Amino acid sequence: MQLSRDIQVIKEDNVTHSFCGLACVGWMYQKIKDSFFLVLGTHTCAHFLQNALGMMIFAKPRFGIALMEEGDLSKNEPTLEEIIREIKADHNPSVIFLLSSCTPEVMKVDFKGLAHLLSTPDVPVLFVPASGLVYNFTQAEDSVLSALVPFCPVAPAGQKSVVFLGSVNDVTADDLRAEAEALGISVGGFLPESRFDKMPAIGPDTVLAPIQPYLSRVAVKLARERGASVLHSLFPFGPDGTRAFWEDLAREFGITVDLRDREKAAWEKIRNQTELLKGKKVFLTADTMMELPLARFLHSAGADVVECSSAYINKKFHARELEALDGVRVVEQPNFHRQLEDVRRIQPDLIITSLMTANPFVGNGFVVKWSMEFMLMSIHSWSGVVTLANMFVSPLQRRSKLPAFDREVWLEGVMPSAE
Amino acid sequence: MRLAFWLYEGTALHGISRVTNSMKGVHTVYHAPQGDDYITATYTMLERTPQFPGLSISVVRGRDLAQGVSRLPATLQQVDHHYNPELIVIAPSCSTALLQEDLHQLAAHSGLPKEKILVYALNPFRVSENEAADGLLTELVKRYAVAQEKTAQPSVNLLGFTSLGFHLRANLTSIRRMLQTLGIAVNVVAPWGASIDDLRKLPAAWLNIAPYREIGTTAAEYLADTFDMPALYEAPIGVEPTLAWLRSLIEKLNAAGAERGVPLIAMPKMHEFSLDGQSAPSGVPWFARTADMESFSNKRAFVFGDATHTVALVKFLRDELGMQIIGAGTYLERHADWVRKELEGYLPGALIVTDKFQDVAQIIDDQMPDLVCGTQMERHSCRKLDVPCMVVCPPTHIENHLLGYYPFFGFDGADVIADRVYLSCKLGLEKHLIDFFGDAGLEYEESEASVSPEEPQPSASNDHLSPEVAADVVTIAEEGEMKWSDEAETMLKKVPFFVRKKVRKNTETFARGNGDTMVSVEVFRQAKESLGG
Repeated sequence: MQLSRDIQVIKEDNVTHSFCGLACVGWMYQKIKDSFFLVLGTHTCAHFLQNALGMMIFAKPRFGIALMEEGDLSKNEPTLEEIIREIKADHNPSVIFLLSSCTPEVMKVDFKGLAHLLSTPDVPVLFVPASGLVYNFTQAEDSVLSALVPFCPVAPAGQKSVVFLGSVNDVTADDLRAEAEALGISVGGFLPESRFDKMPAIGPDTVLAPIQPYLSRVAVKLARERGASVLHSLFPFGPDGTRAFWEDLAREFGITVDLRDREKAAWEKIRNQTELLKGKKVFLTADTMMELPLARFLHSAGADVVECSSAYINKKFHARELEALDGVRVVEQPNFHRQLEDVRRIQPDLIITSLMTANPFVGNGFVVKWSMEFMLMSIHSWSGVVTLANMFVSPLQRRSKLPAFDREVWLEGVMPSAE
Repeated sequence: MRLAFWLYEGTALHGISRVTNSMKGVHTVYHAPQGDDYITATYTMLERTPQFPGLSISVVRGRDLAQGVSRLPATLQQVDHHYNPELIVIAPSCSTALLQEDLHQLAAHSGLPKEKILVYALNPFRVSENEAADGLLTELVKRYAVAQEKTAQPSVNLLGFTSLGFHLRANLTSIRRMLQTLGIAVNVVAPWGASIDDLRKLPAAWLNIAPYREIGTTAAEYLADTFDMPALYEAPIGVEPTLAWLRSLIEKLNAAGAERGVPLIAMPKMHEFSLDGQSAPSGVPWFARTADMESFSNKRAFVFGDATHTVALVKFLRDELGMQIIGAGTYLERHADWVRKELEGYLPGALIVTDKFQDVAQIIDDQMPDLVCGTQMERHSCRKLDVPCMVVCPPTHIENHLLGYYPFFGFDGADVIADRVYLSCKLGLEKHLIDFFGDAGLEYEESEASVSPEEPQPSASNDHLSPEVAADVVTIAEEGEMKWSDEAETMLKKVPFFVRKKVRKNTETFARGNGDTMVSVEVFRQAKESLGG
């Protein structure tokens, strides 16, 4: 679907505080339980994974870094055979994802060739482009799913079913499946499923329903290679998004459903929350690429979204969300320095922002919510509505319950470099 | 190339930002791909900084590389416009270091004055966090420190106190309290809270205090060479080292004071160093002599960490608490020689030098010490082995950024460390009671599920069972594991739960040594006799 009108998206120079694509290891290794995620990278990649994602190493983590040291820089091609052997001996994975990072990309390592060389019929090694030279935060999940495409069986023509695109936890997956089946929609599965050998069949009569807003590449790839159709709707967040998502999906299956009452009931359920959100100025800095649907829900809930920024906006993949955001200032690849000045001027009531910038915004007198939390909570579909609404409301409510705060007094000495 | 999961030391970029995040009016610009400023999160989340750390990224995208475009000049202009820092430190990341760009020239394109920019281009493949931080601090001191008159009254600089340091604030407070008691002024603390102007003022002090081997020592050495400033390099960790530190401090300042005709500093009464001004400054000397601490004399301790804390803790545990040191190590190869020299005569074997946490975990598993002093990673490893562990050094974790006053330096620090040893280790009289009466009612605390005869462990395979032993064996061993007869298992149950794992392990090692394939009651008794358990 093309945009019915030309929606204005302001584009800046991408000076943001956010993570690179390697961040996806944090949830993908937990999602695909018989996998191993191997990053060909440097000390920086290792330090990032262990620090920023707050990961402690458990007995045998199913991710690791093939650590490039100085001596490796002069070699033509990295030799990973020994490391792959070690991984296989210790973890016995069904699949190894080989993630690229900046240094080997600068060195022009032939990752495709390398992955091919290391693959065996038993344990394929799949190349996942993830480096910060190209990919932000969640975008590498798109790369992981694209790498999985050859391992999705081909569904025969005539087998009409939906395959949900995006990694969600099992509870959410069960919920989406049950909801689809209740509407009479045949469910082909999820990409990804929790096991490598259980990836869904996809064919010309598969309808791909993206449930995360950062997976445009794999959707396009499957449409091209398998002839599958891609659902272009709102993403299933909030009463408005959820209704549009299910109604549009049902239509793909020739089923007409009217979920207006359901939507109304869902709004009713979160009336206390939306009352509080009404007219509140909300600012979203660019981080997880979930910003568009989150802002659209806030907008529908009556909040005043003063800026919604996102690292990457695809005018086709995100068309419906952009339409629904008509009138809202939408910025792609924003400049954080400019945003900081705008925030100080606009004085939003709530800022949705990254782990890197949240506490300093609070120190500047604002109420914040970590953007990354929206990736770790069950906020999809009808059952996620209350959780989603509460996530925006709870920081506002909590703050209103705390006593008055004199910054001059209580921040003294906390950060001497800023005094 | 090796497979790594977790590393003790951070990157060069991390070291650079630790220094610049500590300082006023200094901004770091990373010439790096998206995401390399993840380090920002360590400050905003661990130190909970209420302002934005002075750290920006000048994003390098793959497309820019292909087109030969650099955003660095524009980023520098933006940073200058928005934050107006006195100095911008430009650092390449591991990937952009390979591009071999002329960062000086790129920086010059920004049009910013030269004196506002410092290109700190280390080789990130060779230099890690501590060396980079120490190096940058020295570089800044060289750049700004100027000869000047000394302060009229005795004063000192405190060097090496750096953002994300281990118990940084509390250590600083402890040192400030001691200096206050002595009537010594603090001229400059650097880099923590220092401005460029403060760095200029450094040579006004009479003496430099640089207690961290990792960061600040090199700057103090430079100041000693260039401005003839005496320095105190020891870390005042433990009661005796603190006393020696105070004496040395007074002696050095008095030597300078005598030349200047300033009244000499006298060592005050000890109680003046205490928190209430009227008690012993530390409880450690008496604590160590009490009867209930007698049991510490045969406790076996293992220490692993950075250079400063490994040395200090080994000495403290042995010299002041009377514990046995069964081994020590450091992850800082660069400082290993210094650690070795400092610990001469303290260690039963060679100093362990490794940056692989798995090696350290293996040593702990083999030795089963009564106390491990280590990093967060050792704490993690020890939890799995049920070995008591206390965290004594960086890399810091959110749990090392607590609100309360828990210094490691000075008399106050000695009390904090001794308390932690006491709380971490199994206790004195209580231990005897438990040893004597078995579980002392604490059995319910045991975390491992007990195995009842009806339920063999689910993970075990019945293939190992031959009909003859099936009746006797309840705990079916996995490959390579030792089997236990149910009677022996019952006997083991009578051993206090917190040493049970260790007894099980020792007994199995004993049995293996004898060529036994199963621990029977007889084997268990022999082991107890032989091992004295």
